[in-house]
Parts: sequence; structure tokens; C-alpha cells
Amino acid sequence: MDLLLDVLDQQLVDKNGRKAGKVDGIAIELRDGKPPRVAYLEMGTDVLARRISPRFERWLQKWRKWMAREVEPFHVPWSKVKKVHLTVDADIDAAKEPVYYVEHWLAEHVIGPIPGSEIAHEDKQR
Amino acid sequence: MKKVLMVALGILTSIGGFLDVGAIATSAEAGAVFGPRLLWAIAFSTLCIVFLVEMAGRLAAVSKHTLADALRERYGWRFFVIPFVCELIVDLLVLGAEIGGVCLALQFVTGVPFRWFAFPVALLVWLFIWVGSFSLVEDATAILGLVTIAFVVAAFRMKPDFHAIAAGFVPSLPTHDAAHYWYIALSIIGAIISPYLIYFYSAGAVEDGWSVKDLKVNRMVAVIGMAFGSLVAMAVLIVAATTLLPAGVAMDRYEQAPLMLARALGLAGFYFFAASLGIACFGACVEVALSVSYLTAQTFGWNWGENLAPKSNARFAAVYTGFLLLAACVTLVASDPLKLTLFTMALTVVMLPVLLLPTIMLMNDKKFLKQHRNGWLSNTMGVVIVVTAIVLSILAIPLQIIGG
Repeated sequence: MDLLLDVLDQQLVDKNGRKAGKVDGIAIELRDGKPPRVAYLEMGTDVLARRISPRFERWLQKWRKWMAREVEPFHVPWSKVKKVHLTVDADIDAAKEPVYYVEHWLAEHVIGPIPGSEIAHEDKQR
Repeated sequence: MKKVLMVALGILTSIGGFLDVGAIATSAEAGAVFGPRLLWAIAFSTLCIVFLVEMAGRLAAVSKHTLADALRERYGWRFFVIPFVCELIVDLLVLGAEIGGVCLALQFVTGVPFRWFAFPVALLVWLFIWVGSFSLVEDATAILGLVTIAFVVAAFRMKPDFHAIAAGFVPSLPTHDAAHYWYIALSIIGAIISPYLIYFYSAGAVEDGWSVKDLKVNRMVAVIGMAFGSLVAMAVLIVAATTLLPAGVAMDRYEQAPLMLARALGLAGFYFFAASLGIACFGACVEVALSVSYLTAQTFGWNWGENLAPKSNARFAAVYTGFLLLAACVTLVASDPLKLTLFTMALTVVMLPVLLLPTIMLMNDKKFLKQHRNGWLSNTMGVVIVVTAIVLSILAIPLQIIGG
């Protein structure tokens, strides 16, 4: 497995088959006298900002502080990763994790109150 | 039957994506100023978009990845953020221009200035996406889009000079207004090679669950769908060449546009023009708005799908809702929809290399495409497309200043 090619930026899928974001970062733990190992996968806007430039991350955090909004970082311990193929499958329930915070907030406060927001479509199989 | 249904996706993509405010405005202006001499620009860009759409469909069918997914996964966030942001900027302006197109059609029919329609039109587009399923979006626009055949009928009724038309397919140097000639050629290419169309098509193919056995259908859809759109765009050019050019109308103001079909088909032609413009642009609005939601959701790995209830993919729904609102503001502040369109097409051309080069490179990737990677023909076209995109991108700004 090639961490950069097969894990970083790949789709993370939870145990219910729900898309849970892309793998934005990988944290590696250095150990004395032992080979380094993958500690966890990390996700979130902070990580994305940091990857463009550490300065962006500082700006983002300053802005967050100013808005007085704390965002928990979302970490997926490597031990929860079950399979790496076309996607990265992890044994987590994404809906209960901070990656779904914005989704839940929007569903409850913006999209949900609009009439018809619960209508799904069963399309004919093509 | 399944194949027939799948071709519907192609026709929708071509009506909504190919024939939009950009294609109609640039083709009409080309015909009005230079007669049939710029037909080659439509033919050339059609060839490019056929190959690009085929590639996007092949990628989706073989790898089950949409273009945005695959680009981020293959090249990483740090690279992908550049085409992603470029695409969002272009899409915002394109959506503003398309809403402007629908508003203009309404202005022609009602006489009420186009600005009044910006928000109602955006609301209508939103409602269509909100309640519609993916197949409704596909089929309704495809069927209504057939009204644009009025242009083809009009082109034949005007008994154009077929020798001049045939000659128009061979690129030639302009006899007058050289800078304007090249500027319009460039705008036509920018209007027809629309990147949002490629993202939309690849998301649609994944949404429809294509697989390797659909590759033949994909090729057929790419060719037939795009050819249909191209035929109508050429008809627009020919009608403008046979009606506006002899009358000395240079299409520098959008109010002059309906004259072209009115001369060919009488009062009915006036309404056909308004209907064609309105429907083609409405289809394009739906497609651009969805395309932005697809692109964003796939970039960040959210749940996405037009068939899911908006509440169960709230972020997806929020993106097209917010984007339509923003785009309506663009329409509202733009001085004139025609100018906004031409500016947007030139800007698209500037961004094309950034958007197309990674796509062509990805099509040679073993991990995603296995044995279905680009063959020599697709790669040759790929090189032609990228080189053209780079040259045009450099020329776009100077040409806009001299010839625009």
C-alpha cells in the first residue's frame, strides 16, 4: 500500500456505506528505536488549509477564535480502518462524528424547514 | 430500450450544456458579422467536446469515479484546489449568463426588462432541481429542447448558399476586422468546450450506474448528443448569416437577436426564438447548478445525488441553493446579458488549460482506467485540445481588448 497514492485524498466510507469525507491528512507517529507507524487519518478544513499553506491554517484558526466557535478535529484511528481499495473503509458511524456537524446543522436549520425536503426519488433502473 | 434511455442523457447534456446562451450568442454574432465563414470554429470545438465527453464517460464507467473524485484522488488536494476554484468562478459567471438568457427570452415575450426576472428564474430553476428526480431533469429538458430544431428548419427555409457553407468548414483568414474575427472564433470555442458539461456528464454517468459494458453506448451518446447540439448551433450561425448579415445588423445589442428567426419564420419565428433561447438556457441553468453541487460534494467527499431527499444530503442541496442565489445577483448587476456572456466565454478560455490538462493526463492512468486508457486517437486529440487551450488562453485577453 502506498499511503500517498492509496490513502491520502481517497474517499472515506463508514460502516453503513455512507460517504464520510475525503482523507485530508495522515498523522504518523515516530517511535524511539521502532519504525514509524500511522496513528490516525485526519479530516477537516484546518487540515485542508494547512496543506495549502500553514499561514492559511493560522488565519482560519484566528477567524474561528473571533467567531468563538470551536471545531473538534476529526480523527480516525488507523486501527478502525478495515479495508483500503477504491475507497478507504472504516469501522465508524460517520453520522455521529464531527464531519457531519455541518450536514446536520444545515439539515435542521436551513434545508429541513423548506417544504418538500424529505422527498426522495426512486428512479427507474437504467 | 435501455440504450435509448441512455442516449437521452446525451441529448440533455447537449441541449443543456452544448446549446446554451454562449453557443447561441457567439454563433449568432459570428453569422451576423462574418457570414458562414466561422462554421469551422463550431465544427472544431464539437470534435474536441465529443472526445472530452467520451473520456469523462469512460472514466466513470470503468473506475466508478466521477472526474472530480478522480482528479483529487490522483493529484491530491494541493493541486486540485486550483482547477476547483477556477471552475467555481467560471461556473458562477456562466450560471449568471444562463439566467440572463432565460430572462432575455422572457423580456422578448413580455416587454418587461430582464432584471425583473433574475430572481424568479433562479427560483424556478431551484424548484425544478428541488422536486425533480435525475431522470425528470434529463427527460424534460431533452423533450422541451427539441423546440430548438426551429433553427434548423429556418436555416433550410432561408435557402442558404450551400457552396459558401461548405467553404465555411475550412478555416480561412478574415477579409476584414481580423481581431474581431479571431475574438469570435475564440468565444465560440470557449462557449462549446464548457468544462461544467464534462463534470456534469461524469457525475450523471455515475448517478446512472454505468459500467464497462456501457462503453459503446457512452461513445454513441457522446457523438450523437454533441452532434445534435452542434447542428443547432450551426443552424443558428447560418440563419444569422442569411438574415442579419444582409440587413446590416451586427448583433451588437441583444434586442436584435430575435430578428433572425422572425425574418425566416414570421411572427411564429419570434416566439420560436424566445422559446429556444429560454429553454436552452433553462436546461443549462439546471445543469450548471447541479454541476457545481456535484463538483463540491465530490471534492470534499460528501454524500451526493439528485435522487436523494434534500434533507438527507443537506450540503449538496445547500450548494445549489446558495449558488443560484449568488448567480441571480450576478445577472442583476450585469450591464447587459450579451456582454456578460461574451466576457464569461473569454474567461472560460483563459482557464481551459488548467481544467483540461489534468483530465487528459488522468485518462492515461492505469489505476483508474486499466486497459481502457486513451488510445492513440484520443491521445492525439488530447494533445490538440491542450495545445489549442494553451494558445487560446494566452491570446484571450489581448484579443478581448483589441477585438471585443
